[in-house]
Amino acid sequence: MSGAAGPPPVLPGFEHVKRGWHNSYGAYAARILPGEYYVTRHEEGIYTTLGSCISACIRDRATGIGGMNHFMLPQTANEPQDWKATGLGAATRYGNFAMEHLINTIMKHGGRRENLEVKVFGGGRILENMTDVGRRNIAFVRDYLKAEGLKVAAEDVGEIYPRIVLYFPNTGKVKVKRLRSLHANLIASQERKYVESIAAQPVAGEIELF
Amino acid sequence: MPPIPTPAALVQDIRGLVTLPDVYLRITALVDDPDSSAADIARAASQDPSFAARLLQVANSALYGFSGQIATVPRAVTVIGTSQIRHLALAMSVASSFAGLPNELVSMRNFWRHSLFCALAARHLAREARRADPDALFTAGLLHDIGELILFNRLPAEAAEALTRVLDSGDELPVHEAERQVLGFDHADVGGELARLWKLPPLIAECIAHHHDIAAAGAHPRETALVHLANGLALMAEIGSLDPGDVSPLDPRAWEVTGLDEDCIGPAVAEAQGGIEAAEQLFGVAP
Repeated sequence: MSGAAGPPPVLPGFEHVKRGWHNSYGAYAARILPGEYYVTRHEEGIYTTLGSCISACIRDRATGIGGMNHFMLPQTANEPQDWKATGLGAATRYGNFAMEHLINTIMKHGGRRENLEVKVFGGGRILENMTDVGRRNIAFVRDYLKAEGLKVAAEDVGEIYPRIVLYFPNTGKVKVKRLRSLHANLIASQERKYVESIAAQPVAGEIELF
Repeated sequence: MPPIPTPAALVQDIRGLVTLPDVYLRITALVDDPDSSAADIARAASQDPSFAARLLQVANSALYGFSGQIATVPRAVTVIGTSQIRHLALAMSVASSFAGLPNELVSMRNFWRHSLFCALAARHLAREARRADPDALFTAGLLHDIGELILFNRLPAEAAEALTRVLDSGDELPVHEAERQVLGFDHADVGGELARLWKLPPLIAECIAHHHDIAAAGAHPRETALVHLANGLALMAEIGSLDPGDVSPLDPRAWEVTGLDEDCIGPAVAEAQGGIEAAEQLFGVAP
């Protein structure tokens, strides 16, 4: 296979996501940024870079439709001690939002709940002298999945490394690559901008978000 | 946007901000002077008490294996060797010299950590390859990326753009190639200019200037290839991998030129990882 044929068809709503041909693994892949997600039913990869953010990779293992999200919980004035997905805190809404968007889109295009296979990545502590926001992101996603009755088939979370995660929903294959610390500040600043952008949004009712 | 300055202009810009200490310059002048003796070099080293104290610390460290036996500066100069002492003095000076050139893209701690991984790997490879000076290679490894600190300080937007391209490529585009796309030159070019301005020994200068393009090396192709390999091994040591596929590609010609093969990867990475903590204390910056 070569890139000459052009990328596979894109599902409605994901036209804006940047996709490109990658010689090293002979496939098209979509690049998602903090706050974005992407779902596909075709043979293509999805990749993102993670600092303390989380990416959930979810697919229907029978049909191969699946996708990846990329999110983190913003910090709020009254930090709760635990990060229950079921809690009504302003922060967890963004996590719930990111997870539900991904799962709902997969189901809308024929995925079945009982077939879902979930893998979880990220939540690193990539800068010294920084509070460990990765840890509460990990705690959130684990709790969310538990509450939804979804098992984690594989994960690579925490530690000090930024990561690149490349996911092929069609096969469920994931490649996680640790990145050198040279990239840590840039990844952290991309994630900080994303968190500031969601924190700047007016606190709207749940209806507007879902 | 204003035109991008040349590497030579960038290096001129930082002249007042980054300087080598007098003790290094004095020692270098003495090493180059055929009439000078080891005693002269020891006297020059002793004129800077904090340098002298650190020299004894380094000489007695695991790095040299004389643990605790070296009590005086003249003895340190003798056991380390008069020509090696110049490389050591450079290695001991460089991190503090660059303290005046901060940047937003990489912490000094992380920058020097990578450099020290490379220094330790280069020293190990030099011993394996024979006919190479392990002390010179240690210093060459430590200094190989100094151009990066100048780029990050002088051209932060362009440097950030280059690193963004690396991430957008899924880490397939090597950093130096991204820099060439954005700037038309890379951190090795800038480091090479600084080496010229500072009149660093030609071996060190070539390793800095050509560690990403070993075919361009002139008089020191083996040493340049050793630093090229050590850079890759340093990245593997940092991310805890023994798979060269996880880091920017190693030039196969580097194995040929040095006479080494992939069997050295494991031991070299292990040595770099084992020595990093002590090396950070001796040569790095405080966290």
